[in-house]
Amino acid sequence: MSTLLRARDLGIIACDTCELVMRTSDVGHAHEDELVAACPRCGEPVRHRKPNATARAWAYLIAASALYVPANMLVIMKTVQFPSKRADTIWSGVVFLWSHGTWDLAILVFTASIVVPMLKIIALALLLVTSGQSSRWRPRARTRIYRALEAIGHWSMLDVFVVALLTAVVQLGRFASVSPGPAILPFMGVVVLTILASASFDPRAIWDHEPESTRG
Amino acid sequence: MADAPRLDDLPEPNVRKHRRGMPSAIWIVPVLAVVAGLALGVRTYLGKGPTIHITFESADGLDAGKADVRFKNVPVGRVTSIGLADDHLHVVATVELTRGAAALAVKDSRFWVERPRIGVGGVSGLGTLLSGAYIGVDVGDSEEKADDFTGLEKPPGVTRDQRGTRFRLTSTDAGSLAVRSPVYLKRVTVGWVTEMELQPDGKTVKLEVFVQSPWDKDVTDHTVFWNSSGLDVAIDANGLRVDAQSLATVVAGGIAFEVRDPGAPSAVAAEGASFPLFTDRAHAMTPPDGVHVTAKLRFRETIRGLAIGTPIDLQGIRLGSIDDIKPGYDARHELYFDVTASVFPERLGAAYASLVAENVGKTGAETLQTLVGRGLRAQIRTGNLLTGQAYVALAWFPRAKPVTVVADAGAWVIPTEKGGADELQEQVQDIVAKIDKIPFDAIGEDVRGATGAAKGLFTDLDQKTAPEMVKTFVQAQGALTAMRQVITSLGDNVAAPDSAIQQSTRAALEELDRAAYSLRSLADYVEHHPESLLRGRAGGPEPQGSTKESRKGSR
Repeated sequence: MSTLLRARDLGIIACDTCELVMRTSDVGHAHEDELVAACPRCGEPVRHRKPNATARAWAYLIAASALYVPANMLVIMKTVQFPSKRADTIWSGVVFLWSHGTWDLAILVFTASIVVPMLKIIALALLLVTSGQSSRWRPRARTRIYRALEAIGHWSMLDVFVVALLTAVVQLGRFASVSPGPAILPFMGVVVLTILASASFDPRAIWDHEPESTRG
Repeated sequence: MADAPRLDDLPEPNVRKHRRGMPSAIWIVPVLAVVAGLALGVRTYLGKGPTIHITFESADGLDAGKADVRFKNVPVGRVTSIGLADDHLHVVATVELTRGAAALAVKDSRFWVERPRIGVGGVSGLGTLLSGAYIGVDVGDSEEKADDFTGLEKPPGVTRDQRGTRFRLTSTDAGSLAVRSPVYLKRVTVGWVTEMELQPDGKTVKLEVFVQSPWDKDVTDHTVFWNSSGLDVAIDANGLRVDAQSLATVVAGGIAFEVRDPGAPSAVAAEGASFPLFTDRAHAMTPPDGVHVTAKLRFRETIRGLAIGTPIDLQGIRLGSIDDIKPGYDARHELYFDVTASVFPERLGAAYASLVAENVGKTGAETLQTLVGRGLRAQIRTGNLLTGQAYVALAWFPRAKPVTVVADAGAWVIPTEKGGADELQEQVQDIVAKIDKIPFDAIGEDVRGATGAAKGLFTDLDQKTAPEMVKTFVQAQGALTAMRQVITSLGDNVAAPDSAIQQSTRAALEELDRAAYSLRSLADYVEHHPESLLRGRAGGPEPQGSTKESRKGSR
């Protein structure tokens, strides 16, 4: 198989739901945004590419980066551990854990709450920029990045869950209590929006500009 | 490719025109996110109040990030960092106030570190024992904003929302008083000690008390303050009396005040007015002592029973007390004691005033000399027979040996008289010795002998003398009768007009009359002619006429 063809090159398209294969002679590239094709068997919309994928991904990504700032600047968790009280941002929490010797936890929180969201935003931006510029730069690597993004996305809400769980469990009145701070909402927004952004992104766009000879 | 279906046979999707929705609706998401993020940021920024710096002596108990700032126990800020001041002697706490508490950062606000403080009067800041220290704040009245403050080392005695007046008290001794010791009026707590400070000279203690409104109106220029700490035990003619303001003052001390003479017109004392703090109520309620005079006394007898503070008494009025007793040894090899005492003559009241009026223009020493001249002396007397306590009495001894007062640098040198108790004892001993010497036995025997003799005498009188006496009386009666007869006959002879005695008496009287006449004429002549006494009678038979002539001739 020296010739690497795409479904689009053959003028066919498959329904994502019932896998009915159809002809797409009428569904041209130029009109993709204006015409909606539906599977004649199950009625599911069929398309070569996710519609408006790049714009949607960008929109979500920009929203996520906008919320990333308050998520890290504001207090995410307030703890009362008698006799002391703390109000921690993510960063001060990491510093606190580190200075109290639990460096492993500090690294974990640092990675999960600061590095990963940031990397997600950077990686998505990279993917969007490269595909927008019809780049041919290491498509396989970029695809791997995308897979990793999708995989991590499942775990991104971990921090929010931890705070929610602690808030529910640690309510011992004056002696110990945990309450979420104002940063928890923007942080949640960052997580949800990056998941939405990576879901909006169509990884097929990575390969759209490959010459036929190198595909695969 | 026989099995492969032809692409042309494949069905076609149902194509319809895309609904013209809003293709760019997705851009609402980032816009919303930016707005939300900005809103959160702005809200957080606006929620932050001013950042202030407070300088403290020490950051003991303060934890950066943990310690908060509380106004009336409401958290209004948080210590964000603690660092050393530039002078390396203080610490500077950086405090971030909340937005609502921005009004606290005015020029005269006061900050202090609230730590657990345990005193006898009570426990304060107990909450900080577990929660850690926090910074307390008392908001000032000023409108001027400030962000650098010097913290107090201890909580202020009075916060600004408490209505009342502060007064200054001066005492020589703090007793068991401490900051926050209560101030009593009629045994009700109406204030407390806010500050206590030993003066730099180390001699007096300055106290500041706060009296709450409206009782601060009871502090007038006639008000006296005294230290009501502990028990006031007094033994007097009424018996034992134990007095205390309250149980708390017994342990923790306290100050009481009262108006000395409620009837007198008085003005309410101003904020910061100064008062002396008396050691007890009795001292406080005595009128002011006025002039203070040092008196020096020298005793050459035992001073047992005297002590520092022993009263000097003038006929029952306590004039002063002993300040110092020094033993000495003089050239006559005798031990003596120099007693120095403080005397307040104005305690005599009107008597002192008239004494001063009487001795206008004289020095104190001269006045004293007058008094000493009249017999004023000091004497040690026993005040209490049970305890042996003595006092120094100033009293008049009219028979005392005259002494000249020696002035001693303004001090009154009052001569002393040997103590009453000693003297009395000696006199009693003397009397007893004299009584011992009387030979009562011999006297008794003599008396008995004399009685026997007297008895014999009376018997003699009765038996011998009495009958003789009766005879004598009878004879006397006879003699009297005879005498009466003589007197009667004599009366008859003398009283008759023609009796011989009558006749001769009359003749004698006539003769006397004539003699008197001649004497008068002679006197007249001599008066007019005094020269006749020397030259004899001159010429003229008519003494009177010649006298007239000579008068005319002489003119």
